[in-house]
Amino acid sequence: MMSNDPKPAARDAQKILTEEFFIARSKILDLAATLDRLDRANGSVDQLQQRKLLQQGMEILLDDQPDKAKRVQLLMSRPYDPDWRKNYGLH
Amino acid sequence: MDYIDPHIHMVSRTTDDYETLARMGCVAMSEPAFWAGFDRGSVESFRDYFRQLTQFEPKRAAQFGIQHYTWLCINAKEAENVSLSREIIAMIPEFLSESNVLGIGEIGLNKNTKNESTIFLEHVDLAVRYGQQILIHTPHLEDKFQGTKMILDMLVSDSRVDRSRVLVDHVEEHTIQEVLDRGFWAGMTLYPVTKCTPARAADMIEKYGTERLMANSAGDWGPSKPTAIPDLIMELKRRGHSRDLIRRVVYENPCKFFSQSKNFKALPASS
Repeated sequence: MMSNDPKPAARDAQKILTEEFFIARSKILDLAATLDRLDRANGSVDQLQQRKLLQQGMEILLDDQPDKAKRVQLLMSRPYDPDWRKNYGLH
Repeated sequence: MDYIDPHIHMVSRTTDDYETLARMGCVAMSEPAFWAGFDRGSVESFRDYFRQLTQFEPKRAAQFGIQHYTWLCINAKEAENVSLSREIIAMIPEFLSESNVLGIGEIGLNKNTKNESTIFLEHVDLAVRYGQQILIHTPHLEDKFQGTKMILDMLVSDSRVDRSRVLVDHVEEHTIQEVLDRGFWAGMTLYPVTKCTPARAADMIEKYGTERLMANSAGDWGPSKPTAIPDLIMELKRRGHSRDLIRRVVYENPCKFFSQSKNFKALPASS
């Protein structure tokens, strides 16, 4: 369905970077500190699904493709089965 | 700036919160029926809850000049109990003529089970039979993508459903496009950790525009911020967006959607 409302004009990239650099820096540090905490802790979580999801999420951040937030969301989501209704016996 | 919170659970907030919201510019709100933090045991518990939503909360809100509207249902979490759900669905029509009822909601899915789906379909049928609007809860976290698509499947398979009278709430980056593309209204919930931040909501407004898009706080008894919409207004202002654009999202769109219900009253001229 087409939208009748125009999208807002695109913002200036350099301005966004200037405004948000310290916020992003803080979030990277939080993530780094979480990984350090795991390293210092007893036991290993490397084979756990949650740890693998974090690794895959970080790889999305580093690639050169767009829609990173959407792709991280999909990574963290259960798959959709188009036949779900038939499987549930709901017609 | 005057604004409307289309999804906030005021039964779990204090009267002080009503006053704070009024001071922040909230002129109207709608409160969908939801989970109380524990599973209720009988239809009478829900009858009392619906009395609270239709009689008590509007009075609390009115003390501060806020219009209070509501939506009725048994929520997805408790819908796992099919027999209780059917008793409640049969009782809901008792309340549909109350003056602040906008429709059926927040119905939806929680863990995307067969029982939840069965009761969702029965709620949709109730809404259609009584000419009611629908407000929808989509699941949390890893269940959201799958559950949202299941909900959309059920809605589009019922030709009686008028998509322009359905609001699908809690959309995020991976669900918003399909909701809008299929002709429904979409609500972004500004909720710490498990849903969407004001910055990410602003991103979605920039990406998808403002048509059929709203924002809400979903303020409830969990970690949540009832003043989250003013936070979004501040974020959009900070980014240099126009007053017209902001007003469309936080005021005009809720008015336009709610106006499809006969119980929605015109609001006083806004600032």
